[in-house]
Order: sequence, then structure tokens, then C-alpha cells
Amino acid sequence: MTHPVLEAQLDAYLDGELTADDARELEAHLVQCPDCAGFRDERIALRAAIAAHVPALQASDALRQRVRAALRVAGGTRSRRRIAAPVVWRSLALAASLAVVAVGSWRLALQRAAGGALTDQVLASHVRSLMPGHLTDVVSSDQHTVKPWFNGKLDFSPPVYDFSGRGFPLVGGRLDYLNGRPVAALVYGRRQHLINVFLWPAVQGPAGGPPAATRQGYHLLHWTTREYAYWVVSDLGISELHDFAALLARGDSAAATPAR
Amino acid sequence: MESNELERFEAIMLPHMDAAYTLAHYLTRNDHDAEDVVQEAYLRALKYFDGFRGAAGGESRSWLLAIVRNTAHTWRHQHRADTLATEFDEELHSETVAHVHPETTLLREAARASLRHAIDGLPREFREVIVLRELEGLSYKEISDVVGVPVGTVMSRLSRARRRLQEALRSEQQER
Repeated sequence: MTHPVLEAQLDAYLDGELTADDARELEAHLVQCPDCAGFRDERIALRAAIAAHVPALQASDALRQRVRAALRVAGGTRSRRRIAAPVVWRSLALAASLAVVAVGSWRLALQRAAGGALTDQVLASHVRSLMPGHLTDVVSSDQHTVKPWFNGKLDFSPPVYDFSGRGFPLVGGRLDYLNGRPVAALVYGRRQHLINVFLWPAVQGPAGGPPAATRQGYHLLHWTTREYAYWVVSDLGISELHDFAALLARGDSAAATPAR
Repeated sequence: MESNELERFEAIMLPHMDAAYTLAHYLTRNDHDAEDVVQEAYLRALKYFDGFRGAAGGESRSWLLAIVRNTAHTWRHQHRADTLATEFDEELHSETVAHVHPETTLLREAARASLRHAIDGLPREFREVIVLRELEGLSYKEISDVVGVPVGTVMSRLSRARRRLQEALRSEQQER
């Protein structure tokens, strides 16, 4: 074998692309040729150096949002009608199902909730919602679709916002059952993360739980306004979750994008 | 396009965005251009998605990366000349330093740090196969699909690209 041919063969060998016969032949040659063995070692060192110093990159969150927005526009243009479901929905659902796998201990959460504090109930409900098919009863990024959906299902009409202008698009809503009563669960997205917002009419008495807690990698925030008791749960970073809670607490209608 | 078709597109193609961005970045060698190329490529991919009949996974990745590659290629012609790298000539680059047999040296830390510089200096035909193989982990067949050349050409380009990287690193070591 000439060296250029050998070189390519050796690269293919190291890439796992040689047939078994060719690989055996090459290995036999390497045993008796110190030059080629040295050459192989140099190539291995090069590979290691590339692996260590030339990183595969990650698309920024800004780019992800940009691409999704562009796709939404392009998809909408082609169909000449509005896309009803938020485009983030499918990937979020995928991430959610992966999150369940990653958590793995959701059973524990459910067990503890059975006899436990409201914090545990809220966490269990969040984790349960991440199981495939459990996240939303109504899927829409439009608060004017989600809010009326609760009519006749609850004895209150929960405030629903679309914070997609602030990077927290509305994903949908569902009915849930917490603290001995039916409650509204609103789902918001943040990149690949999901945020559950549980709320029900506030009642007089002691607070329902600590203002902040972390359980099994999930952050929970709790507060009570004059009208509603709020719980917010997510695997999102705590500072971003606080940002979201602040948006929600303000009920900042200016932050909401106009209904499409 | 039905909305569930857009959802299907996103479910299959969005997971490959890191790979798309990595390839675009090393082809354009510029963050802004890379992001523009990725967005443009996704829009093109959506447009031609009807023609994609593969399943999820590797096939969809190759399909998307081929579009990213072509988009980057068009981009280069439209927006700037590829000044850093030498122009590619299959024959010329095939014949260079065929029989110099390198002594075995472990690459030193300084040389390692300059690897990215060496990769940026490769002709793009070499750069893309290195990125697709070393960073994206594509098989020769997948690279062949993305680049549009036979598997044998992928094999020889990869080998020559690696040789050039080692030469670049070695000469840099000697200059120090």
C-alpha cells in the first residue's frame, strides 16, 4: 500500500468505516510497521485534540425564537390562515415527555402528595401534567380562546395573558384539582421549559404554602393576591421564573401581545 | 400548509438546530452570517418539506444539513468572498505532500488551542467534511448525502483534511 492510500484507509479504519476484512488486513500491517503505528497514534491525538478544543455549538435562544417565528409566518402565509396551535407546542411536549423520563421520581411525588402538603400536591400536579397527553385540555396561544374555555367549568374566570412578547408564550390551559377544589391550570412556555400556573379564588386564612420552594429540581413560587391564590411551577431557572411571576403579578396587559 | 404539517416539520427538524448552527458557523466563520444562514435554511427546508419522505433521526438531519450547506454556499457568493481559505482544487490538493511521513509527536497545548484557526484556514470542501465527521458525527454515507459527492471522495477528502490540520499545527509549532 502506498502511504496516501494507507492514510485514507487508516482514517476510515479509525472512523469505523472499513469493512471487517480490510480492517483485519490493516491491523496486521500496523503490528509490523512502527511508522504506520506512529502515524495512527498521531491521528488519534489529532482527533482527541479536535474533540477537546473544537466544540460543536449550540443555537442561541434568540436564534431559536427567530427561526420559529419565521416558520410560523411562512407556514401561515402558505396556508393563508392562522396557525391555531402555537408552534412551540410540539417541541415543548417532546421536552416535557423527556423531562418526565429525566425526573424518574414522579411516583414519589405523587405518593407524597396523597397525604402531604399543598406544595406536594402542586408539584405532583405539575409533574403529572408533563406526562404525554396530560398537559392541556385546550391548546392555544390565544388568551381569548383559553379564557372562555373555562366558562362553565369553573366558578371563576381566570386571568389569562399571552406573554409571548416577553418570551413566555401561552401554550394552553386545563382543569386541575388542588386543595380540595377545581382550579385553573395555565401553561406557559419558555424555550424548552414549561411553566404551570395554578390559580383559584383566594380565601381568608393562613397562607397555603411557602413563597418559594425547590423540590426534585423544580421551583415552586406561591403568592396570594386580593383575588387569587397563585402557584407557579417549572424546571426553569429560578431567576427567570421570578421574572415570569413578576409579569403575572403585575397582570401587565402592556406585556401581552395583541390577540391575533 | 396544514398547521399539523408545520408541527410535523418542527418536531422533526427543530431538534437539529444545534447541528445546523454548528455547520453554518464553521462554513461562514461568522456568528451573524451563521444565524442568517440557519434561518434561511429552515425556511427553505419548510418550502421543500413536501419532498422529504424520510423518517425522523439521521435521515432528516442529513437532509437539513444539506440545505444548510447549500444555503451557506449561496450566502457566500451573495454576501462576501471566501477570503480566508484557499480555493479548492481536487487535483492540486490531492497531490500535495503525498509521501512525507510525519514523526509521531503529541500535539502540544498551544498547538491545540490553534486548531480552530487551522480549521478556519482549510478550504471549505475540507472544512465541511471535518465538521460533519468530527463535530456532527455523521457517517461517510451521510456526509456523502450532505455534500453530494461519492463516499470514496468523502474518505479521501477527510484524510487529506486531517493531514493538512496536522501540517498546519506542526508548522505553527516550529514557528514558536
